[in-house]
Amino acid sequence: MTDAAYPDWDAVYRDNVTWVYRLMYGKVGNQPDAEDLTAEVFMTALRPMRVSATVPEVRKYLRMTARTVLASYWGDRMGREVTSIEVDVPEVIEPESVASDAPDKVRRLLQRLPDNYRRILELRFLQAFSVREAASQMGVTVANAKVLQYRALRMAAQSGEEATS
Amino acid sequence: MSDRTVRRFVEGLLRGQPTERARPDDFEADQMKTAIELRAARLGSDAPREEFVTDLHRRLAGEIVDEQKPVIHPRWAARRRQVVIGGSVAAASAAAGLVVGRNLLAPNESTQAAPPTQGELEPNAGTWRAVGASVDLPDGGALAFDLGSVNGFVHRTDAKLEAVSGVCTHQGCKLWLDAPESRLRCPCHSTSFSLEGTTVTHQMPIAPPPLPKFQVREINGVIEVFAPTKPA
Repeated sequence: MTDAAYPDWDAVYRDNVTWVYRLMYGKVGNQPDAEDLTAEVFMTALRPMRVSATVPEVRKYLRMTARTVLASYWGDRMGREVTSIEVDVPEVIEPESVASDAPDKVRRLLQRLPDNYRRILELRFLQAFSVREAASQMGVTVANAKVLQYRALRMAAQSGEEATS
Repeated sequence: MSDRTVRRFVEGLLRGQPTERARPDDFEADQMKTAIELRAARLGSDAPREEFVTDLHRRLAGEIVDEQKPVIHPRWAARRRQVVIGGSVAAASAAAGLVVGRNLLAPNESTQAAPPTQGELEPNAGTWRAVGASVDLPDGGALAFDLGSVNGFVHRTDAKLEAVSGVCTHQGCKLWLDAPESRLRCPCHSTSFSLEGTTVTHQMPIAPPPLPKFQVREINGVIEVFAPTKPA
């Protein structure tokens, strides 16, 4: 498959839009921004793309474009890159595998936390409970749940930092 | 205070809102990153909306192809739309694409030389059929019609009426009227035609033929085209 090329931009788009969106969603965590960034990637990338580019070349190019687009997004929003897209990926990227390590990473991260910290993050982030719902689920006050959530996030961020460095 | 920056970010994130501007320090940025990873790990939350995928496809077909394809009809040359989204990255890349001059979207120049000529639809048996009232078609306007056996678009330019087929000459998909751009666009590929029926953009090695024209007339405030008689 490595020598295969796409017949036209339409095929490039249809084959790659889902993984580009997933990649972006995994880096910004919200739908409106993930959609805007995905649109920008394709608007930017489809223009100068070569007719003869192979499928892996196209995917690599889309990924590099996504990396630039994301960096510029964070630069504008936060003045720094909160998340980034890694360059060192295998030559042949299977679209399905792009964002697949994220759940594992999160699971490992949560496992390192004390029970009540893990629980509040699971309820709020993974299960989309409101603060009130999460508080009642855990048998604590709403104010308590808020404090727990932010302490848990701080600890998760610290432990994530230690794990990578 | 540092807490507020992260809290505001996380509240927005959990509500699914776009990220607002802030100036986090290192540790705040780490917390934001962790929050994003947690949020993105929510099951089933990372599939693109079907409407988004379709809408972006339509925008790409309209915007990018317009920018890149050689424009056959000089009248359209000055009417390129600006790309709505994207900042300096898009602009820089667009410029690079134009300078380098190699791109996925441009048709093969060598096969462009002799576009097929535009024929007039001449059914073996036809009748004049009403497609609309004269008052509904001001100068510069266009109107879609569907007579069952044929469909198409009639437009009035400089007081002159012209009607063309509404079926793409590539693979037969039904064209739609992009009124603001005065284009007839194919939903299947990126082919588009002028209201006069000439091929404006396409992604094929060889340009699809122009759209056949209908005979059209205006009688007593009614616009009619000459269309095949319905089978008995």
